[in-house]
Amino acid sequence: MAHPVVELDRVGKIYYNGDVETPVLFDISFAIVPGEFVAIVGGSGSGKTTLLNLMGLLDRPTAGVIRVENQEVSQLDELKRARARRDRLGFIFQFHYLLPEFTVLENALMPCRMRGREFEKSQEPRMRELLKAVGLEDKLKVRPPQLSGGQQQRVAVVRSLANEPAVVFADEPTGNLDSKSGRLVFDLMKRLSRESGTAFVMVTHDDNFALEADRVIRIRDGRLVGAPVGAPEERL
Amino acid sequence: MLSYFIRSVAFRHLRYSVGQSLLTIGVVGISVLLIIYLRTIIGGTQNRITQNTTGAIPHITVEPPERTPVGAWQLTNLGIDPDTLYVGEVVNLPKAREVIEDWRLWLPSLDAVDPGVATVSPVVTGQAFMNRGSRRQSVRVTGVLPERHNGIVEIEKNLDAGRFIGMVSGDVVLGQKLARDFGLKLRDKVRLVGPEGLTLNFSVAGIYTTGFGQVDDGQVFVTLRDGQSLLELGGSISSFGLKLTDLYDAENVARRMAPSLPFKVQSWVVQNPNLFRTLDAQGQTRDLILIMTTIASGFGIGSILVMVVTSKYREIGILKAMGATPGEIQSIFVLEGLLLAFVGCLVGVPLGVLLLKGLAAIRSVGPDGRVDAPFLIEIDPMLLLGASLVAMATGVVASYFPARRAGKVDPMQVIRGS
Repeated sequence: MAHPVVELDRVGKIYYNGDVETPVLFDISFAIVPGEFVAIVGGSGSGKTTLLNLMGLLDRPTAGVIRVENQEVSQLDELKRARARRDRLGFIFQFHYLLPEFTVLENALMPCRMRGREFEKSQEPRMRELLKAVGLEDKLKVRPPQLSGGQQQRVAVVRSLANEPAVVFADEPTGNLDSKSGRLVFDLMKRLSRESGTAFVMVTHDDNFALEADRVIRIRDGRLVGAPVGAPEERL
Repeated sequence: MLSYFIRSVAFRHLRYSVGQSLLTIGVVGISVLLIIYLRTIIGGTQNRITQNTTGAIPHITVEPPERTPVGAWQLTNLGIDPDTLYVGEVVNLPKAREVIEDWRLWLPSLDAVDPGVATVSPVVTGQAFMNRGSRRQSVRVTGVLPERHNGIVEIEKNLDAGRFIGMVSGDVVLGQKLARDFGLKLRDKVRLVGPEGLTLNFSVAGIYTTGFGQVDDGQVFVTLRDGQSLLELGGSISSFGLKLTDLYDAENVARRMAPSLPFKVQSWVVQNPNLFRTLDAQGQTRDLILIMTTIASGFGIGSILVMVVTSKYREIGILKAMGATPGEIQSIFVLEGLLLAFVGCLVGVPLGVLLLKGLAAIRSVGPDGRVDAPFLIEIDPMLLLGASLVAMATGVVASYFPARRAGKVDPMQVIRGS
C-alpha cells in the first residue's frame, strides 16, 4: 500500500471561548492515500468543515497527530503551516473566491505566483492545458466576473491543482451551483484526481456525489461512524 | 525585496480600483503641492523680511560693555560683614561714550573667532550735521574700512555712481535720496559738523541705492580715520560689526563668542526680538498647516486602504488559505500605500514647481516705484525631495494599520462565510 498523503491519529478539537469549552471532534483516525477520492459527509454542525480545516492546516488540533506526507504538522506555527499549504495542499471552497483583478489564467496560476515568477512560468503550459481540458481555453484572458458560476468554480478547481499538491481539500464545492453545473464540477474533480494522481477530500451534503467517491467518511457529532474507515481499502 | 506575488497583487489592486487610486493620488498630490508651496512662499517671505531687516545691519555687534551702577551692598566680593548697614541710593551714571581702544589687537582674534564669521568690520558711528549752502540735516556718520564694511552692507554693488571700496580720506559716500535732497552729485563738496562742533569738508565719492531705507536716507559713509576725527574718538572705534555665513545661526555664534570676549556681544535676533517672534509665530503656523495637510493626506490613504481591505476581505482570506503569509498580505497593502504616495508625489512635485515658477514670473510695481517680484521664490531641490519623502512615509504609516488588519484575516472565518 502507498504511503498516506494525510494521516490522522486520534485527532480531537475543542474550541475555547473564555471558560466555555466546546468539543467538536473526538478521536478521529484515518489515512488518505495518493489518488484517492474521499467524501466526508455528515449533518450540519457534525464537524466536517472543522475536520477539513485541520487536515488543510488552517487550524490546529487540540489532541492527536496529523501527518502530511509523513511529516508531523499538527503543531507547526502559522508561517510554517502557510508554507506547507502553499507548497503541498490545494483548496476548493463553496464559493470560488477568484480575484477579480486577475484573468482566468492568472487566477489559476495564483498559488504558483506565491512561489515566484520562475515557478509560475514553469507551470503555465500545464495550467493552460488544464483550463483547456475543462473547456475554458477561450476564457484565459477573461476576468472572473465575466464567467458563469459553473465556469468560475471550474477555474477554482484548476487553481487547486496549480502547485501540484499532494491532496486537494474541497469544502462543498458544488454547494453554490445548480445541479448541472455541480455535476460538471464534480466529474471534473474526479477526472483530474484520476489523471493527476492527486488525492481529493471533499466535504459534501450530496449523497449522490458521496456514493461516487472512492471512500466515504461519515461523521456525526464529531465522531466517525459506520463501517471501519481507517484503511483505504474499506469501502462503504 | 518584495516578492513578485506581493508586487503583482498590489499593482493589480490599484489598477483595478482606478477611481479610488486616482482619488488618493489626487489627495497626496495636493498635499505635496501644499507642502512645497507653503514652505517656499512663507520661507521666501520670511527670508525677504529677514534680509530687509538684517541686510543693512551686522548679524552680530561687538560693543564695549555698558556701565551699570551697583550699590556697595550688592557687591559680594569685598569681604564686608553682611550685617553692615549702608545708607545711600543707586544713581544713574552719566552716559559716557564707550569705545574700544585696542581694536587693532582684537581684529585678528575676531576674524578667527568662529568658523561661521564671514566678515568683521570695525566701525565708528555718531550723529553729525551735513551742511551744503543753506541746507542742513542731521545724518548718521559711519566711519568704516570700506573693503571690510562692504561685506556687511553691499554698497559697492548698489552704487549708482562713483566708488565705495577705495574711498580715501576726505571722501563721503551717501544714498541717492540724501544726495537728491541736497542736490549732490559726484565730486560735489559737502560739510559735516561733528557732535563736538568739529567741521570737516568732504567730497562726494559715491552715490548708492541699497533699498534699505535706513542706509539710503540719513546715513553717510566716510573712512574710519575721518570718522574717528569727526567724532573725536582718537584711535578708538564704537563697535565691531560681524556678518555670518548663516544669519539664522547668529544667536548660537554670539553665545559661543561671548565668554571669550570682554565685550557685549549681541546678535540681530536679540536686537530685533519682535521680528524674531513674528517670524517664529509665522513658521509655527506654517508648520501646523503642513502637519495638518500631511495628516489629512495620511487619512486619505488610510481610509482608501481600509475600504480596499474591507472589500477584499474574502480574497485576502482565500490567499491566506492558499498559503500567503500574514507578512506577505501586510506587505501588499503597505506597498499599495507607498505606491499611491509615490505617484501622488510624481503629480504633486511638478505641479508645485509649475505653480511656483508661475508665481516667480509675476512682476509688480512697488510703493517706491521699482518693478519687483512680489514673491521671493527659490525652489529648493531638498524641499522637493523632503516633501516627497514625507508623503511617502505618510503613505507607509497610513497603510500600516489597514495592512495589519488584512494580515490578521482568518481564512477559516472567510470559508465559514462569517
